[in-house]
Amino acid sequence: MNIAHETSAAPNGLRDRRPKERTNAMTTALPSVSTSGLGKSYDGAPALHPLTLDVPKGEVFGFLGHNGAGKTTTIRLLTTLLAPTTGTARVAGHDIASDPLRVRAAIGYLPENVRLYDRFTTRENLTFFARLSGVANPADAVDETLDFLDITPLTDRRVGTFSKGMRQRVGLAQAILHRPEVLFLDEPTSGLDPMGVRQLREIVEKLHDRGMTIFMNTHLLSEVARSCTSIGVLAHGRLVFHDSMQAVTDKYDERSLEDLYVGVAERAPQVAA
Amino acid sequence: MTASQLIARQSLAGLARDRSVLILTTFFAAMVLVTAWLGWSATNTVNAIYADAAQYLTASAQPVPPNPVSQSAPLAVLRNLGVYISLIGAFGAIVIGQLLIEIDRRAGTLPLIGARPFDRRDFTFGKMRALVTVTGAMMAIAGVISVATLFTIPSLVLGLSDLLHLALFLVAGWAYITIFGFMALGAAARMSATAGGLIAATVVWLVVTFVLPELTANVHPTAAINPVSTLAGTPDSGFFHLMSWVLGPFSLAEGFAWASGDLLSFLPDGLAPRGPVPPAVTLPVALILAGLFAVRSVAKLDLNAGGPDV
Repeated sequence: MNIAHETSAAPNGLRDRRPKERTNAMTTALPSVSTSGLGKSYDGAPALHPLTLDVPKGEVFGFLGHNGAGKTTTIRLLTTLLAPTTGTARVAGHDIASDPLRVRAAIGYLPENVRLYDRFTTRENLTFFARLSGVANPADAVDETLDFLDITPLTDRRVGTFSKGMRQRVGLAQAILHRPEVLFLDEPTSGLDPMGVRQLREIVEKLHDRGMTIFMNTHLLSEVARSCTSIGVLAHGRLVFHDSMQAVTDKYDERSLEDLYVGVAERAPQVAA
Repeated sequence: MTASQLIARQSLAGLARDRSVLILTTFFAAMVLVTAWLGWSATNTVNAIYADAAQYLTASAQPVPPNPVSQSAPLAVLRNLGVYISLIGAFGAIVIGQLLIEIDRRAGTLPLIGARPFDRRDFTFGKMRALVTVTGAMMAIAGVISVATLFTIPSLVLGLSDLLHLALFLVAGWAYITIFGFMALGAAARMSATAGGLIAATVVWLVVTFVLPELTANVHPTAAINPVSTLAGTPDSGFFHLMSWVLGPFSLAEGFAWASGDLLSFLPDGLAPRGPVPPAVTLPVALILAGLFAVRSVAKLDLNAGGPDV
């Protein structure tokens, strides 16, 4: 991938492959992700209490929380996979309820434990998703993305033969094929070995360097400390902490970050009340 | 290429790599071949006996009657085909309908597809398009084998009308198996359990194939897999006349058997279809209703589900 060429060619530094009709509608002055009272309930039981949050363009936002805190629900709402019960949200300037197609054109999404089609090769998997995303030249987009992620040797191998780490990288490839403005990663390091975690962190840093906004659910505080520019902590479906990473590190070191997380998470019911 | 076409193409490629689909379609093609061979063999046997008899009669200066093969309807040779379509073809369509959802669910790709910028209806129509293509291909295989068989039987003269009737029979067969494919597609979309859609559609198929004919005309399950005895008349009893009238329109297997007998010209004289509505109406209506069920169900498919973490 020719980074120098692409830095001048596209908003996020990669060659822009979004359909023109969609990119023209981008509203760069707005935050990349903005929610206002966004909530979700299942049969009256709240999974996500009304959430108000802004993630500025170009941030790597770490969304922390215990299992069942509502992190995945939040991502599914923002990626239009779920309809909210309350509130609104805008992603890349587009309303998730009234303009879901433009939201989807502007985002990439890597779910937790992505598998893909086992009997298809990496190229076949990625070409399908590139075409679904409306990429004009899928073959070139696939080659460039695989090169960018340094997994070109996997191109013609069947995904069913891959390790967890390899699948995760191919999964990430499908998420950035169309050069999204906002990338949603749901527990991207889940199940990865230390080498896989490091490789993923490097990729996130490269994407951040190219201006992509990254919204990342994670459990790993060490990853948050190294990769994120701002964090939010979700506990029992409520946002209980939100600040820039700079502000956090000014007050806490990495060990204390854990104390911060545990402290705000434990206080969550009182905060909620 | 539209999103619907992309979904259909990907689904077909996925099916082509699935062993159960390959086994089922191969089995279906093999049974159609067996049907064709049985018809070809039986007709040739009659021809051979007729040739011997004709030679004897000619030698003894007696009049030679016409060959019964040339007197009977040529398409009746294919009478077993309707049974294999009704049994293996319909079950194959059920497996395919279920797999069309299961392939994506198992791969965990539903959320990846759902987060793409295209209308959800394209996903639904893409899946239905894939199903219709596969069931159409199955009937095309049956058609090619049938036509090849008919043209290799001596003494059988096929007219344009016969070919038209064969084409109509294949269309009826396509409609019949697609009904069950749509049911399985819809059931698989509504039920998140892996085998849920398969079991639900199979139960409907079993009821339609074996239970309803028993209630409408006392056709036992063993008779229901016989192309001739399944076309029995309604027994002369008040219960069966009532059941035949009430359940006849829902007894799709009997409707298809009646249509097969009519189109392939082996329908017993005077046999009326079960119930007040003819199969020419019930089969298309059932196809439309099953299609609507599939549309509604796939539209409600939870795209968050699937993969190893569910």
